[in-house]
Amino acid sequence: MRRTLTTGLRHAALLVSAAAFLAPVAFLVVGSFKPEGRILADAGSWRAFFPAHWTLDNYRDVFARVDFVRFLLNSLLINGAMVLSGLAVNSLAAYALARLRWAGRPFVLGLVLATLVVPFEAIAVPLFYGLSAIGWRDDWSVQVVPFVANPLSIWLFYVFFAGLPRELEEAARVDGAGVLRTFLTVVVPNARAAFATVAIVTLLFYWGMYLWPLLMTAGPHARPLPLAIATFYTLPPLRWGDILAFGTLMVAPVLLLFILFQRAFVRGVAATGIKG
Amino acid sequence: MSGAARRAPGARREAAAGLLFALPALLGLALFVLGPFLFAVAVSFTDLHLGSPLPVHFVGLRAYRRLFEDPVFLRALVNNAGFALVVVPVQTAAALALALLLDRPSRLRGLYRTLFFMPVVFPLSLVSVVWVLLYAPGPEGTVNALMHWLSLGHWRARDFLHDPALALPALMLTSVWQGLGFQMIVLLAGLQEIPAERYEAARVDGAGAWARFRHVTLPGLRNPLVFVVLITSVLAFRLFDQVRIMTHGGPDYATTTLIYEAVRAAFDRGNVARGAAISVVFFVVVLGVALVQRRLVRERRELA
Amino acid sequence: MGGVLLAAALAVWAPPPARAHAPYALTVWFHAGQPGERRVMRAAVDAFNAEQDAARVRLVLIPEGSYNGQVQAAALAGDLPDVLEFDGPYVYNYVWEGKLIPLGGLLPKRLLRDLLPSVVRQGTYAGRLYSVAMFDSGLGLWGNRRLLERAGVRIPTDPAGAWSAAQFDRVLAALARHDRDRRVLDLKLDYPGEWLTYAFSPLIESAGGDLIDRRTGRTARGFLDGPGAVSAMRRVQSWFRRGYVDPDVRGDAFVSGRAALAWGGHWNYPRYHRALGRDLVLMPLPRFGPRLVTDSGSWNWGITTACRRPRLAARFLEFLLRPRWILAMTAANGAVPATRTALARSPLYRPGGPLRLFAVQLEEGYAEPRPRTPAYPVISSAFQQAFRAIRNGAPVRAALRRATTVIDRNLRDNDYYPPIAVVRRVPAAGGGR
Repeated sequence: MRRTLTTGLRHAALLVSAAAFLAPVAFLVVGSFKPEGRILADAGSWRAFFPAHWTLDNYRDVFARVDFVRFLLNSLLINGAMVLSGLAVNSLAAYALARLRWAGRPFVLGLVLATLVVPFEAIAVPLFYGLSAIGWRDDWSVQVVPFVANPLSIWLFYVFFAGLPRELEEAARVDGAGVLRTFLTVVVPNARAAFATVAIVTLLFYWGMYLWPLLMTAGPHARPLPLAIATFYTLPPLRWGDILAFGTLMVAPVLLLFILFQRAFVRGVAATGIKG
Repeated sequence: MSGAARRAPGARREAAAGLLFALPALLGLALFVLGPFLFAVAVSFTDLHLGSPLPVHFVGLRAYRRLFEDPVFLRALVNNAGFALVVVPVQTAAALALALLLDRPSRLRGLYRTLFFMPVVFPLSLVSVVWVLLYAPGPEGTVNALMHWLSLGHWRARDFLHDPALALPALMLTSVWQGLGFQMIVLLAGLQEIPAERYEAARVDGAGAWARFRHVTLPGLRNPLVFVVLITSVLAFRLFDQVRIMTHGGPDYATTTLIYEAVRAAFDRGNVARGAAISVVFFVVVLGVALVQRRLVRERRELA
Repeated sequence: MGGVLLAAALAVWAPPPARAHAPYALTVWFHAGQPGERRVMRAAVDAFNAEQDAARVRLVLIPEGSYNGQVQAAALAGDLPDVLEFDGPYVYNYVWEGKLIPLGGLLPKRLLRDLLPSVVRQGTYAGRLYSVAMFDSGLGLWGNRRLLERAGVRIPTDPAGAWSAAQFDRVLAALARHDRDRRVLDLKLDYPGEWLTYAFSPLIESAGGDLIDRRTGRTARGFLDGPGAVSAMRRVQSWFRRGYVDPDVRGDAFVSGRAALAWGGHWNYPRYHRALGRDLVLMPLPRFGPRLVTDSGSWNWGITTACRRPRLAARFLEFLLRPRWILAMTAANGAVPATRTALARSPLYRPGGPLRLFAVQLEEGYAEPRPRTPAYPVISSAFQQAFRAIRNGAPVRAALRRATTVIDRNLRDNDYYPPIAVVRRVPAAGGGR
């Protein structure tokens, strides 16, 4: 009796929480298919989540008013380049720190640990000034290169590599493989989980980045989606339907990615918590 | 003898490879993290101003002195601290509650986990824009309507984002909604690492549900909890996107924050020296929060 | 066979016509304003590109929220566009920083004479003209005729008849007696910061104070915290204290008929006219001293020091200032046309037009541009902070003293903005055509 009661309460609590988490998302997606006039009018009732009339006007508007595809491509390019180059640069550095003996090792490890505690916001202003002063701004590369080397990624790789058994590498070395060959053919295939984790954590932290492109991009040609939605929101006329359609369009690809690779996402986040 | 001779070139190769492997990351961290930070410290002692044709002077602690005389900057500090004081306990407790609810095999667990985590993949700028609409003033606004319904009709519609008393709490709610899933996943993973035997042992000792939570779950979750509290505190001091998009620091500076003030100073007004000084203060605050929490954790461990 | 093909190919292929000069890519920054403004601007650029082949304009829309930041950062990076649009009072700061070149020799005299005096004054710094505008702004008081007449108050229609401060207080009291919530005045407090300086600093000037000593430009002491400024801001504070000001969080206080008076400008006209029709009246601001003062200034155009072909840039500005484009632009945004020729043809602003008062204010010198000093951005932000404090009930004199201190400190920090000899690369011979 008591057991069913607690189970019931548990399910009720979960259900209510789930509704609270889902509501804004449903509001966004459903609202994007509503005629402009209904969005605010329906916002205060259950109708906010059930469109009576469906329309694609808002989506048509988005593509007519701004170059959405350009923003999407900018975001894909920036994040794709950042993740791929980040995986290479940080895994190599972590391997050097975890496995190789070389003179500067303690110094670099110290640098990684020291920079781990510097939040990006603490260096945004000087970085903005310094890079602008050398004329490097308003393109996609300035949104990638400063973020490739990442202390958290190095740390995650480092912990993973340190936990791998040495025997495989030693076997490869005995067979005459060089350090790079050993890394590529033995370590990388055994560290797929670490690569997935770092890729996902990088994406989660940087794909929504707003402050940096705000400081560094002027025109629309290099503007990524998170800045583009904020700009679109301030671009008169204020049409909520268009804004919600823009938002649905921009979040759809990541949401899809998330649902497809949910396990990897969860594992990645959990790893930062346990190892971070 | 011959072994050492054979090892020597290998060791040299390894040393070269180590440096080479680490070099790109080393350069990146030096140029884009350490360098800018040292630069910020240096600039904060000058009067560097964007666009000014006047020569730059060393002015000592002037930028810091002026910051701590400025009521708006002090307000930003207070806002950040208030945000942390509310959001850290609330968000951690809520995340822990959800994690506990989900820490039980169930067919729906995956689905719930997905739902709670979903907002984390939403960019904060998008979340901010959507919540501006949810906070619409007047009874037809979603949050107003919900409050009206929950209060059985006692709630009078408010303009959350323009109300000095409600604007910061409104930003808090938005941030909790967006970030809670992250903390929950971390804690859930931590819960699953606690060996079932410990619960069994406690049960055998006659511990009730509360005692088991107190003496098995909480100690077992120590590391993830410390991590969650730390990262949420740091996030509270990094608050920017929501402020820039939803309130512009208003009404009457009720939602202004350190980073918002830094960007206002350096970017909107060109006062790079002030922006740099705020960045340094921000870093010191974040470091202080981290150290204090580590200290607390260590003391507790010593007591235990 | 192959030979035939080759011959055919050669017959079809003709070398591209040799061009003496490839068109110069003229980059133009424009604030991403109202959709109508964007439409007109795009049409003007297309027409300009079609009309001549020396320059090809590339229009870049910059979001309004971070405009000055983008300009400063671009200048730092050596990335300024050729032609720059900016909010009028920033011109002095940009000139001092060496971002703009004088326009005097680049634009025809006839065009300069045609500009409204307020536009020329706004664009002039240290005796030289640095910016021009397609339109100027109008600031006044919108009234709801029905509510004003019900309260039995006189409705002024020209600058000479403006209410005095005491009369205005009596008007507020009379209107409040007929109003259920007594909130009869909409001050547009939901507008962003610059509005506060634009809308309320004229009251200080009318009362004999100012944001700064305009003669020397070296101090705000005795001006922004002087007796005129203190009494003016105390009066404004009393409107809040007595509950006359509608907080208007929904932005509909005036159009819904809740408030009888709205502080506002030309841009309110289309919406207000739609809502009130013949009940809408346009009045001058109250005068706080012997003479009415109102504000002027809007988005301006300048040519940057990064421009390698200033004459081409000037040609583009000249093109924009043709009556056709000025009228198209002001039809889209409701602003005051910036040339006399265009003004005379504007149905809203010609004599007898519904917004004539705005034109009179600009032409007859009631409109005072905001202080012409490179310190303006700092002055404005200090004043805004003081206004917010005063609005919330802070002691007026202390709030203004604080703003004065901030302004004077900035002046001192910048050595009182000494004239800087702008070292600028003189365009090479033939650089302009």
